Amino acid sequence: MKFNTDEIASVLREEIDRFERKIDVRDVGRVLEVGDGIARVWGLQGVMAGEMVEFPGGITGLAFNLEENSVGVIILGDYLKVTEGDEVRSTGKLLSVPVGEAVIGRVLDPLGNPLDGKGPVISDERRPVETLAPGVAERSPVREPLQTGIKAIDAMTPIGRGQRELIIGDRKTGKTAIGIDAIINQKNSGVKCFYVAVGQKDSSVAVAIDTLRKYGAMDYTTVIVAGASTAAPLQYIAPYSGTAMAEYFMYKGEHALIVYDDLSKQATAYRQLSLLMRRPPGREAYPGDVFYAHSRLLERSAKLSAELGSGSLTSLPIIETLEGEVSAYIPTNVISITDGQIYLQPDLFFAGQRPAMNVGISVSRVGGAAQTKAMKKVAGGLRLDLASFRELEAFAQLGTDLDAATQQRLDRGYRMVELLKQGQFAPMDVVDQVFSIYAGTRGHLDAVKREDVATWEKDFITFVRDQVPELRARVVNSKELDAEGERMLEAAIAEFKRQWAARESGAKAGPKAVAAAR
Amino acid sequence: MPSSGDQSTADKPVTDIGVQRLARVYAQAILDAAGNAGCRNEVLDELRALATEVLPKVPAAAKVFASPRVSVEEKGAMIDKICAGRVLPTTLHSLHVLARHDRLGLLANVVAAAGQLADERDGLQRAEFTTAVPLDAAEREQVVADTAKALGLRLAPTFTVNPDVLGGLVVRVEDTVYDQSVATGLQRLGRSLKQRSIHEIQYRRDRLGTP
Repeated sequence: MKFNTDEIASVLREEIDRFERKIDVRDVGRVLEVGDGIARVWGLQGVMAGEMVEFPGGITGLAFNLEENSVGVIILGDYLKVTEGDEVRSTGKLLSVPVGEAVIGRVLDPLGNPLDGKGPVISDERRPVETLAPGVAERSPVREPLQTGIKAIDAMTPIGRGQRELIIGDRKTGKTAIGIDAIINQKNSGVKCFYVAVGQKDSSVAVAIDTLRKYGAMDYTTVIVAGASTAAPLQYIAPYSGTAMAEYFMYKGEHALIVYDDLSKQATAYRQLSLLMRRPPGREAYPGDVFYAHSRLLERSAKLSAELGSGSLTSLPIIETLEGEVSAYIPTNVISITDGQIYLQPDLFFAGQRPAMNVGISVSRVGGAAQTKAMKKVAGGLRLDLASFRELEAFAQLGTDLDAATQQRLDRGYRMVELLKQGQFAPMDVVDQVFSIYAGTRGHLDAVKREDVATWEKDFITFVRDQVPELRARVVNSKELDAEGERMLEAAIAEFKRQWAARESGAKAGPKAVAAAR
Repeated sequence: MPSSGDQSTADKPVTDIGVQRLARVYAQAILDAAGNAGCRNEVLDELRALATEVLPKVPAAAKVFASPRVSVEEKGAMIDKICAGRVLPTTLHSLHVLARHDRLGLLANVVAAAGQLADERDGLQRAEFTTAVPLDAAEREQVVADTAKALGLRLAPTFTVNPDVLGGLVVRVEDTVYDQSVATGLQRLGRSLKQRSIHEIQYRRDRLGTP
């Protein structure tokens, strides 16, 4: 594309003509010492806590500590360019980031500067990075479901729009995968997604962005990156900036989803800042207000009342535990702030159960209110059944003889576990989930071999789509599984079982017979 | 930054916060004592002369004052030898107090703090005028009078020449800077031109790019 340079030149000439020489009034201070992303400033008498200050060269900072004789400033930028004796000026403004449609599809740093080489973010609107969460009167209860497309989550720990659901687990247990899957599943749902990568390896973030792009999710997603090599102040504010961008849509009456990956790294960055600022350390050397740092962040996720447009912001914070230690400081804090947690366990992960969710201690405090009626009907009690199956399984390993009823419960459990396994980046439609879970919980899979469960399910879903579309349409439209729907589903399952049995016997007879049966 | 000559090094703000807080305590005490004796300005002038004129000429003396290896008694004796009979009793006592607490090394800081405190008590605000070229006496007077009138303050002015401001005037009153220099104006113009052209280019691209 070619720009008309004359036009641009005339615009600039106009700008010069209109330029007035105003007196520039500013409150200034002088850098006393600088290092590790923080600076101590002498002067700046009128500065307010949380105010943005400016160093030479356009580097911004945030007044963090106001002390008797100096001001502690966190530097949001290249702190190596700030030197002792530099003039610091206050701006009278709070730190803000660009918001609006312009940020969608972009990869940004926590200040809203582009990192994807697609030019500056042009937006007329900005929002302060730190804002107050909506109050009690401005909220309404969480009722609408936010589908993650993951069977185990949508059935057992449903997430509602406006909910905060923690994803917690050791390293390499598939935490990020759940967040990315949830984002991919928002395609065509109108939910704007935000992925905040804090303290992650840049290579992992590149992979995540690539995945999102591959599945067409970057069209409605913004990625905010403060990688492992970014200075601690930027890692600390990244979740707040991401929330500011997401809130814009919530207050506009739209729906947004934000994934914080992960908050334990943010807490570490905050600990670094606080210790350098000489704030007193508390448990695990975290500052006393690390709970508040997370609670004020997560409180901003909400379902707004009808008067405010019924918008919502759902958050999926991620916390990494060490050796499954959920009783460490940051995990217990965030567990107590959020509305439930999805707990991922390495032993389940390596046993091939993916997502490696431990259903016994994973909960959603919003519960069935955030499920469609159909899902509520088929999945009610599934979590408890699975949890009791796990106990029974442990007991059965003792090698005692089991009675028929117990054996049957075990068989059902094994098949349910198989059914809840799901590949990465393969989100499933909620209606298909209902059919599949119905078949499992009602015992239609009991006769299927464990290793065939996945194939059975896949083929059954295709069968319903192709051969009983009226059943699917019925559930899609009404979002519930009434008596008539259930009858149709039972009939469909019976028909599919017949076809499956024919195929099975054909397989035994030989490949030719299979081809003939197909 | 070249100085116009009337700005003393002792008046420069000190960057060590701990030292500064300490100096302020002694400065307050000295000013109070001198005030009671009715010779505040004289004591201040004598101390300033000692800190800015005498000590820089005899760097060894400053080193001795600051050295912890020289005992407090020896320092006291030195002060008597240098100052007794030449300065007011309050000045001498002040120096002795500093010597007894082993704070003679902070003399320059104490003098700077005392100067600042005296200005504060007189209702004077310290103002630093920075220009690209030196101003003559009449111009200085005019500029100070105009600024004091505009701000409604009583000013204790100092003048600095800094060719980097290119033209115009920069006034710093305490922590507030009133900047009407050519350099800042050009910087602002540059920034706004850059922003405007980025905006124009992006706007046109978006307009043409979206179906």
